[in-house]
Amino acid sequence: MNNPKTRLALLGTMSDLHKQPICYDLACLQNIVAELAPDLLCAEVTREAWEQGDISQSSVEIRESLAPVIAVTDTVLIPVAPTPQQFSDFAPRDGWRYRLVKMFDRFFRWGQIQANNPEAVNGPWFGAFCHTVCMATELLWSAEQRAAWENQNKQLAENIVHTIQRDTGRRVLVAVQCQRLHHLIPLLRAHSDLFDIMGYQYL
Amino acid sequence: MRRPHEITVSIGGGRALDRAGLAALLASLPGFHVIPQDNDPPPQVLVWATYTDSMELPLLKSGTKLLLLTETTTEDSLPDAVHGLFSREETTSALAIAIRQIARGEQYLSPTLATAILEKRQSKSRRASPEMSLVDELTEREREIVDLLAQGLSNKLIASKLYLSVRTVEGHLANIYLRLGVHSRTEAMLMAMKVR
Repeated sequence: MNNPKTRLALLGTMSDLHKQPICYDLACLQNIVAELAPDLLCAEVTREAWEQGDISQSSVEIRESLAPVIAVTDTVLIPVAPTPQQFSDFAPRDGWRYRLVKMFDRFFRWGQIQANNPEAVNGPWFGAFCHTVCMATELLWSAEQRAAWENQNKQLAENIVHTIQRDTGRRVLVAVQCQRLHHLIPLLRAHSDLFDIMGYQYL
Repeated sequence: MRRPHEITVSIGGGRALDRAGLAALLASLPGFHVIPQDNDPPPQVLVWATYTDSMELPLLKSGTKLLLLTETTTEDSLPDAVHGLFSREETTSALAIAIRQIARGEQYLSPTLATAILEKRQSKSRRASPEMSLVDELTEREREIVDLLAQGLSNKLIASKLYLSVRTVEGHLANIYLRLGVHSRTEAMLMAMKVR
């Protein structure tokens, strides 16, 4: 049986930015998933945590938005996170680097105020802003932290590719924290023979 | 206002308070639009609440699938014209999955009701059957699916366990029905439960 080519869309989420004083209404994320009704939703939760039904360590959008919508729709959640660590977990804990990261956090907060809906968060303006601030922040991490972050993104991309290889021809939505997008997009584009990547609106 | 991807559902049978409760519950879930039973066009799925003292079934309009909400069953198969039997013991999210499954033309049978049906069948016929050898002929993936089917899991739960899409599981199920020579989910499920 010849399945059509897999359609893949990446949806950047605010994730740990929800810890900032500004909180978004997570219902918009729920509506996107319910209306797109993808066959598979790759999300940042480890397989171990998902199988144990313990998502307490996952980001707020998985706990309060994605998991509830997955429970009542036909979309299947694929846990693709190799470890529970998120962008903010790699930040230095003290010293001048810590203070500078805190300053970049304030930039993020400002960006978060400007990009106050999923379209904006996934649009080119916030994409370029997030990319620049994230790159600058990552430069403040130690070489080990940067390598661990890059390695985590590589493993995450591999898990997404394995998901697609196991079940070809499906509509796959990848919901990851926006700070990962500039790493994940080139890693996934290297497999463009397996799937077509598109904006989430076109899935 | 109904969105294009939403499944239209009506509630019938039972008591007025049950119907109101079910309608409110379904209206709160994404992807469902609750409409009156006599709506034109008719609903895609009619959820019909029954009680042991009253098993009267409604007349169905063309294109409407019937999901019976029940406590138990005295039948030895899924009754004709019924596309799903849903136990009141199951969860809210399972109801949403059951409605979606039968709206796509699949059958749904709650695990406790499947067990009741199987017990009913086994008491009627005790002779040896060739099911075991038929199941042996399935591929490894198909056997995995048959095993999960025997546990009474919905297509969604089978897909979630195997990290596959629901559509892929339904494709495998179609092959399984063909290979086992059965014509419905109920038959395949009962056969799978026998060989476990």
